[in-house]
Amino acid sequence: MKDLVQLELIRESLIAVVNEMRANIIHSSYAPIIYEGHDFSCALMSADGRQVAQGLADHPIHIFAVPYSTQQVVATFKDDINEGDLFLHNDPYTGGTHLNDILMLQPVFFAGKLGMFAAMRCHWNDVGGMTPGSLSGRVNEIIQEGIRIEPTKICDRGVLNEPFMGLLFNNMRARSERLGDFNAMLGTGRKAEEHLQRLYNRFGEELLGGIEQLIERSERQLRTKISERPDGDYFAEGYIESDGTNPDPLVVKLKLTVQNDEIIADFTGTSAQTNGPTNCGPAMALNAVGTIVKSFLDPKTPINQGSFNPITVISEEGTFINAHNDAPCGGMAECKFLIDSVVASAMGKVAPEMTVGDLKGGANHVIISGSGADGRNYIHYEWPAGGTGASDGIDGSNAVRSFNEGDFNSIQSVETVEGQFPLRVERCEVREGMCGDGEFRGGFGLRRDVRILSGRGALSVISEKNVIPPYGVEGGSNGAANSFTVIRDGEVVQPSDVPGKVSGFTLAPGDIVREETAGGGGYGDPLERDPAMVLADVEECYLSNSDAFARFGVVISDGQLDVSATESRRQAMADKRVVVNLELANNEMMDGPRRQLSIPNDVAKKLGVSEGGLVELVTGRGAPLRAWATISADGEAVGVSSTSLDILNAAPGDRVRIRATVSRPETAA
Amino acid sequence: MSKKNFIVGIDVGGTFTDLLCLNINSQELLSEKVPSIPGRQWEGVLSALEKLGIDYGEIHAFVHGTTIATNALLERKGAKTGLVTTEGFRDTLEIGRTRRLIGGLFDIKFVRPKPLVTRDLRIEVEERVAADGEILKSADDIDFTPIIELFRKKNVQAIAIAFINAFRNDANENAALEKLQSLAGDIPVCASTGVVAEKGEFERFSTCVLNAYLTPVISGYLETLARELGEQGISAPVNVMGSNGGVMTLEQAAKFAAGTFLSGPVGGAGGAVRICEMAGVDDCITFDMGGTSTDVSLIHQLTPRISHSNQLDAYPLQVPQLDIHTIGAGGGSIAWVQTDGTLEVGPQSAGAMPGPACYQRGGTEPTISDANLMLGRLPTDRTLAGGLQLSIELSEKSFEDLSLRLGEDTGSLIQLADGVLRIAVSKMAGAVREVSVHRGFDPRDFALLGFGGAGPMHVFLVAEELSIPQVIVPRFPGHLSALGQLLADLRRDFVTAWGGPLDRLDVAEFKVKADVLREEAASLLSSDGFGEDRHEHAFTVDMRYVGQSFTLSIPCDPDTTTWDNLRESFHSRHEQTFGRADRHSDVELVNIRLFSLGLIEKPELSFAVDEGGDPIIENRQVWFGDDWVDCPIMDRTKMGAGEIFHGPMIIEEAGGTSVVPPRWTVTVHGSGSLDCRRQYDD
Repeated sequence: MKDLVQLELIRESLIAVVNEMRANIIHSSYAPIIYEGHDFSCALMSADGRQVAQGLADHPIHIFAVPYSTQQVVATFKDDINEGDLFLHNDPYTGGTHLNDILMLQPVFFAGKLGMFAAMRCHWNDVGGMTPGSLSGRVNEIIQEGIRIEPTKICDRGVLNEPFMGLLFNNMRARSERLGDFNAMLGTGRKAEEHLQRLYNRFGEELLGGIEQLIERSERQLRTKISERPDGDYFAEGYIESDGTNPDPLVVKLKLTVQNDEIIADFTGTSAQTNGPTNCGPAMALNAVGTIVKSFLDPKTPINQGSFNPITVISEEGTFINAHNDAPCGGMAECKFLIDSVVASAMGKVAPEMTVGDLKGGANHVIISGSGADGRNYIHYEWPAGGTGASDGIDGSNAVRSFNEGDFNSIQSVETVEGQFPLRVERCEVREGMCGDGEFRGGFGLRRDVRILSGRGALSVISEKNVIPPYGVEGGSNGAANSFTVIRDGEVVQPSDVPGKVSGFTLAPGDIVREETAGGGGYGDPLERDPAMVLADVEECYLSNSDAFARFGVVISDGQLDVSATESRRQAMADKRVVVNLELANNEMMDGPRRQLSIPNDVAKKLGVSEGGLVELVTGRGAPLRAWATISADGEAVGVSSTSLDILNAAPGDRVRIRATVSRPETAA
Repeated sequence: MSKKNFIVGIDVGGTFTDLLCLNINSQELLSEKVPSIPGRQWEGVLSALEKLGIDYGEIHAFVHGTTIATNALLERKGAKTGLVTTEGFRDTLEIGRTRRLIGGLFDIKFVRPKPLVTRDLRIEVEERVAADGEILKSADDIDFTPIIELFRKKNVQAIAIAFINAFRNDANENAALEKLQSLAGDIPVCASTGVVAEKGEFERFSTCVLNAYLTPVISGYLETLARELGEQGISAPVNVMGSNGGVMTLEQAAKFAAGTFLSGPVGGAGGAVRICEMAGVDDCITFDMGGTSTDVSLIHQLTPRISHSNQLDAYPLQVPQLDIHTIGAGGGSIAWVQTDGTLEVGPQSAGAMPGPACYQRGGTEPTISDANLMLGRLPTDRTLAGGLQLSIELSEKSFEDLSLRLGEDTGSLIQLADGVLRIAVSKMAGAVREVSVHRGFDPRDFALLGFGGAGPMHVFLVAEELSIPQVIVPRFPGHLSALGQLLADLRRDFVTAWGGPLDRLDVAEFKVKADVLREEAASLLSSDGFGEDRHEHAFTVDMRYVGQSFTLSIPCDPDTTTWDNLRESFHSRHEQTFGRADRHSDVELVNIRLFSLGLIEKPELSFAVDEGGDPIIENRQVWFGDDWVDCPIMDRTKMGAGEIFHGPMIIEEAGGTSVVPPRWTVTVHGSGSLDCRRQYDD
């Protein structure tokens, strides 16, 4: 009994240390992205680099990669880790995220022996490289994204390596801000050390024993949850639309195996790394699988290394999700969130009651920079959230951080932005009508118009799902895609020929940058949605009358539901759906990374799809299969490859629905 | 005319309504406790008043602490509210800065709480103020008639106006306020800058809407209370405790509902200040533990700390409140088994009904109170105040069930009960760290003041957890909140968003801005009935390094201050809070704040017991650390001033039981408080 109490006391105390680290960083940091954006995380690691504790506000994308980095430090420095040492790391290829996320590791000694590490990962606004802010949609090699730091001892037994730090800061913009942030991390590490040593004095060696037990319990709990699911192979895939240098997509392929109490995520077949920014290091795939498996199977148990132990990831080095030198990694969040999306698609088949509509994809980095009337340069950076996906019984929420993200701001206060920069935010509102439809609909994204008031500016964007929108599940429709455009003299201007990848597009005074974020994917058949819920959305102007009619088959006249007209409208819509037989093709049907379907001419006509158009096959179970159409002159069935059938979990001869994938929900007149 | 002798403090909690009545002439205190009546709080007040048995004609004033605003929000029972806002920003309330604000990590089924105003009642108007205050589109020519018609059609009961950049220039908001008020008739209208004139549209809009949403609830309740009292022939004014620790008149409270969320707990902080003053202690942390929750706050140099950025549920609230941190751990908190098989305590509580298992009212879950009973800290053979007889058998049964659910080698039930208590203490210690360590203070430099029904029973354990060397237990610990209400001054807060980097600011302009605030305050206090000799004003400024976001609050006197003084005060405060100052960086001023008091006449209080006598009631086996200890049970009313006692012991009095562990030395202070000390080895 004493053990169970002790265990709870130890867990509480460790989380308290993480929370105090967070408070310290927020209060003493200089960069708005940290103190307002909260783009940082803290965690505690064991002496061999396993994750021990994190807080509830900490971002999985930051934290779940820390064990990888810590293990690199331990492997590199072995016995040469001493009291008073300090380590820095941001190298994606050895466990970092992107170069902007600087990890500081403070080893903590108990009775002269290495006991734990306190870890802080903060997004530094600039780490050098070719553009201000270091992130750009159009880089060709990692050297353009800033300084890469492999595991480095920056402080040796209390003596800071000043020349090294000087070299670092001399190669970053806004030196004093960087120095301020570095000092905030330094102070926080010291505080953490002090707190942990206090805990050791109190609990003694039982502190370390307790940590082992907590890890073991989290592992045992997740194993139990996995073993309750049927053994089997579950397939899914998804696309990065473009790496920014080349119009071809990149594919992530997944075979997820549930085997007793283990999950094996095999990403074999995933595209090779590219010259553009959409690559990530080896830590991200486990990070993503861990996040999604936990969310689907065991969301409530406290998270630590035990939550990852039942998971094995297979990914080939040299693919864009396990990149090596010198692939740029600025778009690592785009890759990580794509893997999240693909794993969620597979997990929806493992745990159908948790199936959830897809999310906005990457981070939606938007950087507006320029110089104001006073000649001072500015960088305005935000990463606007989208709507969340619908699930059984629950509509998605509007423009909010989703379940796989830490809870920090993604847009800044309008009054702060306008007070600091020569910008005016003319609207920041719900993007009406742009949800994924379903029996439960996805959340709406947001629309934000930012006007350049004076001086020339530049716009850079890294975003995904601008063309291939978030998928719906169980027959639900996709949400609207993200969209980043410029309004000049009332006309819409595309700032790039590759949607979502913009690098330094020149802005003139009076231009408006329009940020529109994705709606969450829907759940279930929109024609099954309770008409009263559709009416409620119309009353609150989230949907128009014509949206209700065209997309949900709900007829509203004079603000009242017309029940019988709704019934017949819904019947007519159901009758117009296109259902096809599946036919096994005798080859894999891939055009590079693109999966293909062979569609008979008259089916293509009914769908309004031409050669190379994006379509989806919808079984009503889980996520749809997406592919590009190749139009065949004859036949009645749609030709699919055997891997397509695996993903669909369908057999030749099955009749399934086919529809065009549109980047915005369409409301026909 | 009879003489108005009595001031009555009314503390309406979730479980009990507590009345404390002070006779101004005799300094005598009377108290009464009755069950609260949910939804009809005044009935409890009236029945307690009747039980007090005083002459209603002699009541001078009431001071009321109420949880009505908090409850109305949690139950979403506020008024149907309409919002009038800037074109393009009807969804600011909904989107905020896209944070979930309440949990949601790994939770696929997370649903964001809905805004308090439905989207169809958020109406945009064509007005705009620029960031520098320039009016880009005037509100003067807007026709608000159709908006009012819509609101009337939809039965709107309260209206909020919130415009972008209004904190820089409130002309458009005021124009809209004037017009809407003239059109709205009985429907109350408030503008964001009238509630809080600070930067940050989400926080300001949210605060304004909370205010509008709750105004009809608060004013309706207070009017009913005044009317019911009137029917009993009581004409004394009813004042309300404000979240800032001061008293508001009924009229003020009816306009500023957003300032009443902490109306319940702030009384304790006010009472604590008075207890500290009398006990000669400058710095203390309050530890107010009740049945469902524990409130802690930090008092530095006899001044409770104020927090300006607060959050209720998922809604930001930007009004000055005492910095009170509340956690869901109280006497009724339930012990349960987590998903990974470990043991957890709270925040679920057995509440007043059914209450802890030992209350014999049908509760079966093991609670903190059950643990205390099993550990010998509560009597099994005598009834408690309120006629409650506790059953140790039911407590043991609840812990047996818990032990089975844990399913591991659970040792003895006593060890389990002790463990549950220790987990709860660790959480409460976390709350103390939150208001101290997280704010840059070392809790060991403070005395811990234990009160509330369960405070004195746990305060020593919390102190030991944090190595705090001094504990104070006031006389009548169960009534300290109501006492604080009796002693509270009338308080009004003012803020003006003015500032910039110090080297670019004109100190003369600062003095002018400050004078304007002070004149406004003085005229309001005078209209509240306070002569100028009873006014007290204190200025602070919000400051930070250029580039930082968080501000620190620095006290200053605008008549004498210089920028150099102010800069130096800021550097040293920063150093104290974050461990370093950055003397090469520019410092900027963000807001000027003024808080103004209308001072009431303070009664002299004395709680000391002149004659001691033999305080020992009996001896009992009590569990301390890891064994049973033979422990004296003392009667507090027989512990004389100046006497010194040594733990372990249990000190009983009406409304509270102090559990003093070994190694503590207890001195009965001349003011009546127990001044308790111990030393720690490290």
